[in-house]
Amino acid sequence: MAALTGIHIVLFWLSLTAYVAEAGLQLGGVGPKEPLRSALFGGVVLHALFLGLRWHLSGHAPMAGLFESLTVFSFCSAVAGLLLCRSETLRAAWRPLSILVVLPQAAAALLEKATSPLFPALDTPWFATHVGLSFLGYGFFAVGLACAWVYLRTGEDAAYRAGSASALYGFSAFSAGMVCGGIWAYYAWGSYWIWTPKEIWSVVLWLYFAALTHLKFIPAQPGWPGWTRRLEMWATIGGYVVMMLTFLGVSLLLRSSHSMR
Amino acid sequence: MSALWRLLTSLKTCAWLGLLFTVSGAAGSVVMGRHPDLFGDMDAMVFSGWWSQKGFVAPVATLWLYGLLLSTGLLAINAACCTAERLVQIFRGAVTLRRLLPHLMHLAFLGVVLSHLVSATSGDRVKGIQVPEGYFAPIGATGLVLGVDKIHVEMAPQGYPKDFGAAVSLYRGNETVARGWIRSNAPLFHEGYGIYLKTFGPTPSGAPYAEFDANRDPGARFILLSCLLFTVANVLYLFPVRKKDETTD
Repeated sequence: MAALTGIHIVLFWLSLTAYVAEAGLQLGGVGPKEPLRSALFGGVVLHALFLGLRWHLSGHAPMAGLFESLTVFSFCSAVAGLLLCRSETLRAAWRPLSILVVLPQAAAALLEKATSPLFPALDTPWFATHVGLSFLGYGFFAVGLACAWVYLRTGEDAAYRAGSASALYGFSAFSAGMVCGGIWAYYAWGSYWIWTPKEIWSVVLWLYFAALTHLKFIPAQPGWPGWTRRLEMWATIGGYVVMMLTFLGVSLLLRSSHSMR
Repeated sequence: MSALWRLLTSLKTCAWLGLLFTVSGAAGSVVMGRHPDLFGDMDAMVFSGWWSQKGFVAPVATLWLYGLLLSTGLLAINAACCTAERLVQIFRGAVTLRRLLPHLMHLAFLGVVLSHLVSATSGDRVKGIQVPEGYFAPIGATGLVLGVDKIHVEMAPQGYPKDFGAAVSLYRGNETVARGWIRSNAPLFHEGYGIYLKTFGPTPSGAPYAEFDANRDPGARFILLSCLLFTVANVLYLFPVRKKDETTD
């Protein structure tokens, strides 16, 4: 068991190294042409092995506490990026994306990495589905930020379409995560809804992206707030900020059922 | 009248209401922590009960809640009007699943809001029912009595509970109406009430006791169905668009 614990920590550091390498290559302008030959892809494979091993070691999905939340967020951002930004035309999004992947993983590296015990409330499949789908949504929102950033700088149509798709996919994954969370809360705490800042912010995030996915259907018009692609992409960037407030701001600053303090 | 209808079916209305909800929710998440005396017991009773006691005593501190309720209600009306208008258009033209899916999601959203309204007005909460092992306690005014036959606690060497549960019996009068084990994530349901094991500990005399909540959420089942409808429609909507459906929404 001690050997496996050591191996899983090594895998964590190797995945971080791969993500740092990808970010360095991207910032140096020498990113790979094929996603499957990238350091990011290598990092995702190592990261998946790390998470799988940690799941085995702790007995529960590695999504409890700040360390695991940050590393899963990084993993989901990388996976979402590989899913949505595979094409050659979206290679420019890899630069901001590689930074969005490496930052949470690097932050996790600074934290205590010991596995947390399997508390009875976590001993349910709803825990993994609720948190996993929510983080997958967060990952898509991170990809949305990267694509929106590229679109605002270059006007690339592919970046707009990927940014728009990331909002829809992220909203869908996050919605499914909320449903699973409601079912879990109903069985664990006696109500699908409790009045805490985290729950309120989750609905705020959900409504924000629900509105964002609707607003693309408003035709562009001369008067404010003429809904243009640029405004939609700015709103996608704003969505990342709302997501970070929901994920980290509320969990770290306010009292909540999801508090990480 | 037509101007009002345009306002109610407008996507811009949806956007502004979403903004109102966002601002109200953000304010509320901060205000809640600063007024624990006001908001600390929001989950201890159904919302209408809490609202009637505290909804009007501090208008400034509860302003965010008015914004939240107003925006939620108007968003529901906005979704209903939008769907009513679009369904008429859809059924006059080519009916495809792709065109119906967003409106199935709207209907699911309405289902969640209305069902939550039912739970918030006609649900029930009985909190903190402490029962020592081998004893009985009434569950609020339900007429049910909860008896704890056995308490099981398994502690880890590190000092946290690995597993805990209670074998309970429910009585109405002298008749046993339900019996079972209650654990974390595994409540006992009877007559619309869910009995939840919240915590455990020793009584002053050293005997073990368990603490339960009993909740009744009459809208919960329909909320689940609405959420499932939403999820299915949402997943189907993610499938690639066929050429002939591309311009439908």
